[in-house]
Amino acid sequence: MAPSDVITHDVIVVGAGLAGTWAAMSAMEAGVRDVGVLSKLHPLRSHSGAAQGGIAAALNNVRPVAGTGPRGPLEQIPPDAEPIDSWELHMFDTIKGSDWLGDQDAIEIMVKDAIDIVYAYEHMGCVFSRTPDGRIAQRRFGGHSTPRANYAADWTGHVLLHTIHEQALKHGVKFYSEWFALDLIVEDRVCKGVVAMNIQTGAIIPMRAKAVMFGTGGYGRAWKITSNATANTGDGVAIAYNAGIPLMDMEFVQFHPTGLYRHGILMSEACRGEGGYLLNKAGERFMERYAPDKMELAPRDLVSRSEQREIDEGRGVEEDGQGIYLDLRHLGRDKIMERLPQVRDIALKFVGVDIIDGLCPIQPTAHYSMGGIPANADGQVIADAEGTPVIGLYAAGECACISVHGANRLGTNSLLDASVFGRRAGYAIAEFVKGGAALQPVEGDPAAPAQRRIAHLMSDPPGGKGESWAALARALKETMTVNAGIFRDEARLKTALADIRALQERFERARVMDRSRRFNTDVLGAIETENLLIFSEVIAVSALERTESRGAHARTDYPKRDDENWLRHTLAHKTPDGPALSYKGVTIDWEKYPPQERKY
Amino acid sequence: MATNGSVPTVTIRIQRFNPDADKKPYLQAFQVKAPPGKTILDALHEIKEEQDGSLTFRRSCRHAICGSCAMNVNGRHMLVCDAPLREHVDRHGVLTLRPLAYLPIIKDLVVDRTSFWEQYQRVKPWLIPPENIPEKEFRMSAEEVAALRDAEHCIMCGACYSSCQVIALTKQYIGPHALLKAFLRVLDPRDSAPAERLADLDRGDGVYRCHTIFNCIDACPKGLNPTEAIETLRKLVIKRGAFEAARAERQRRLDQPIEVVGEAPALSGGE
Ligand SMILES: Cc1cc2nc3c(=O)[nH]c(=O)nc-3n(C[C@H](O)[C@H](O)[C@H](O)COP(=O)(O)OP(=O)(O)OC[C@H]3O[C@@H](n4cnc5c(N)ncnc54)[C@H](O)[C@@H]3O)c2cc1C
Ligand code: FES
Repeated sequence: MAPSDVITHDVIVVGAGLAGTWAAMSAMEAGVRDVGVLSKLHPLRSHSGAAQGGIAAALNNVRPVAGTGPRGPLEQIPPDAEPIDSWELHMFDTIKGSDWLGDQDAIEIMVKDAIDIVYAYEHMGCVFSRTPDGRIAQRRFGGHSTPRANYAADWTGHVLLHTIHEQALKHGVKFYSEWFALDLIVEDRVCKGVVAMNIQTGAIIPMRAKAVMFGTGGYGRAWKITSNATANTGDGVAIAYNAGIPLMDMEFVQFHPTGLYRHGILMSEACRGEGGYLLNKAGERFMERYAPDKMELAPRDLVSRSEQREIDEGRGVEEDGQGIYLDLRHLGRDKIMERLPQVRDIALKFVGVDIIDGLCPIQPTAHYSMGGIPANADGQVIADAEGTPVIGLYAAGECACISVHGANRLGTNSLLDASVFGRRAGYAIAEFVKGGAALQPVEGDPAAPAQRRIAHLMSDPPGGKGESWAALARALKETMTVNAGIFRDEARLKTALADIRALQERFERARVMDRSRRFNTDVLGAIETENLLIFSEVIAVSALERTESRGAHARTDYPKRDDENWLRHTLAHKTPDGPALSYKGVTIDWEKYPPQERKY
Repeated sequence: MATNGSVPTVTIRIQRFNPDADKKPYLQAFQVKAPPGKTILDALHEIKEEQDGSLTFRRSCRHAICGSCAMNVNGRHMLVCDAPLREHVDRHGVLTLRPLAYLPIIKDLVVDRTSFWEQYQRVKPWLIPPENIPEKEFRMSAEEVAALRDAEHCIMCGACYSSCQVIALTKQYIGPHALLKAFLRVLDPRDSAPAERLADLDRGDGVYRCHTIFNCIDACPKGLNPTEAIETLRKLVIKRGAFEAARAERQRRLDQPIEVVGEAPALSGGE
């Protein structure tokens, strides 16, 4: 390997969403001089920018007007009044939301840091919405017992992402925009760098670093209906798994109750927050049967399951019966125009329905990945249930599992997770690098496997006819939706697993049509599909083993939570025979937050 | 439109160009079905997956927030992810897609936005905060936030940039997107360097280069108004001394509660 073909940095971050950018910026701030960030999208196109609702922190700026109930108006808290919120309350809500699978030490760090990180965003120029006296405005969010979602209109993620990207530029972070990570270089639990493709030229380049950090985001693209961007193909988790890193709690995937019918695009939780109804074919507000108290405002996993039950029992709407109606008509034009303008726009453009006078078809949509690359609260990746660290490798954000969300994430806690643990990883990396970490020697040509894979994809198929990766991806999404979706059982998960393995085999014959080197998105599509196939197998195996229902993992054959056997994290390790599972204890403060029944 | 049953088939003409292989760009026609609800981006995906895998374009979020998919549709620049296919075909059932104008083509519909990002960086898009940082947030009034709304909402898709007649002539011009960003910082009460920023805009390739042709407003998929922001900046450039003094005065009270005159505006009740 000619030395000129290698790129070297002190630190390489893969991913330029909130997690990766915070890590890069914080490492520079803490004295590392040379940080490179690669992202397969331009940094400002990262999916963090799509978040709408808010970022959680107990700032105590806003409270419900006394005596007006759970949907009543909010007011700013007068300066001398008693605070209503605290990190302790935020902590309890998060633990309960996680169905007690979240690690409570990590949750404590997150909710305490929350306050500081939201102020940090504000000090860096983030334009939040405001209370009348000029404080950051807050709104309610499902599963949080106080209004603590700090927001900027309904484009919170967008402003957070732009703000942190600007800061990273100010600090001199070097961005490799449109570079695609293909492999991790890890030997004997020491990380030495990554191999990446410069998408514009097609060159495959080894990148060496003293520390590597992954902030590669979520993986909702394994399902047919998803709110996730096309980039959310779980590359980071698949790459880590291929490099011998286990994956944790992959069976927990959150489905959001209101994805736009057929498109999956998110119709904000605000639709229900503002008082929207969910109706079945008969026009019934079916939530009466499932959550008579909270109705449409019950937590996400419960509402999605209720919708799916209606659909499965033949009470869905639209020609294929896979939809549910979201009814906002009673809110009236004024409220809709004032509070839900974006939502109205989306429905108009994509399904041709004006929510002011029409019923909007929606369906549950794959939304958030609770599982991922196991890491401790400093973002350091761990290799086993004992917490043995992988030297020089860090992860944060949606691709990581720290685990603060356990079996089910609360809305607004993930922008927080990505920010808090991205920053902590950045500081930990700085300490590691400044503490004398060195570039590790790399044996052989680390780029060779990726070169081979791509040459294979571009080669002529045996017998003249290759498989289309797009068709394989479609087949995967179909089986994941039907067999590893909202409701699962042994038979369905076994079917999913068999299907996935058959698709993996077929993938061997997948070839691309585009044989050029320059900006080859055909090759990238194929690699992303391979990544989907890799982690989907882990999801199916982990879900099949977990014979209980907890948070977002709902087994119809094991409908109860089973703390005796399953209050533990799944770790899936790659072996030649498929994923081998081991288990890791959950960190619980048995005095303060012992497991309770999760009731809303 | 040719109809097949009730679902029409339409023709999409796409400008193709791989500089490594082609001498010059050419148009290629593809046929796709156009059921209601299908977007132009859906059609591009379908063509790529089923007809020609080498067709190259950018996209990610699918709902007009990431700014990846701006391109030229029948001569207009827009995002294709939220553009209904049927609405953009002409009476012969034809639609023409080209890359964003005035930028080097990398491949097919993918352009090189280097000059665009260089200008964005040139205006120092980050906040330059005052020296004293409060323990909690800086206080801002609802009006101060509202004034930044447009600029803050910009998704940097480049539709305005590629519609700008000045950009067509010179890449030295800062461009509507970066001026909107400059506006965001200049107008933000938390920014401590408005005069410095305004001085930088007071140049031949700065605010004065805008010819007020309004193409950027027509092109913006978010309905923003860069021209108005540029006009405001022009006025402030002239009065920058006074503006800086007013900013310094404002910053003395940045940690003080905003006093509301009259009835306070309602807060959003729900989520
Ligand atoms: C529609 C929607 C709305 C949401 N709303 C909220 C909300 O209101 N509040 C909240 O808290 N959470 C919300 N979430 C969740 C939240 O947005 C995400 O969990 C969070 O932004 C993830 O941040 P991240 O930095 O981990 O990843 P991302 O922002 O997804 O960034 C991933 C980065 O990795 C890069 N990358 C990936 N693979 C590769 C590769 N192979 N090579 C190179 N680079 C790569 C990408 O280019 C990108 O830069 C929402 C999610 C969705 C889908
Ligand atoms: S795909 Fe994100 S703006 Fe169109």
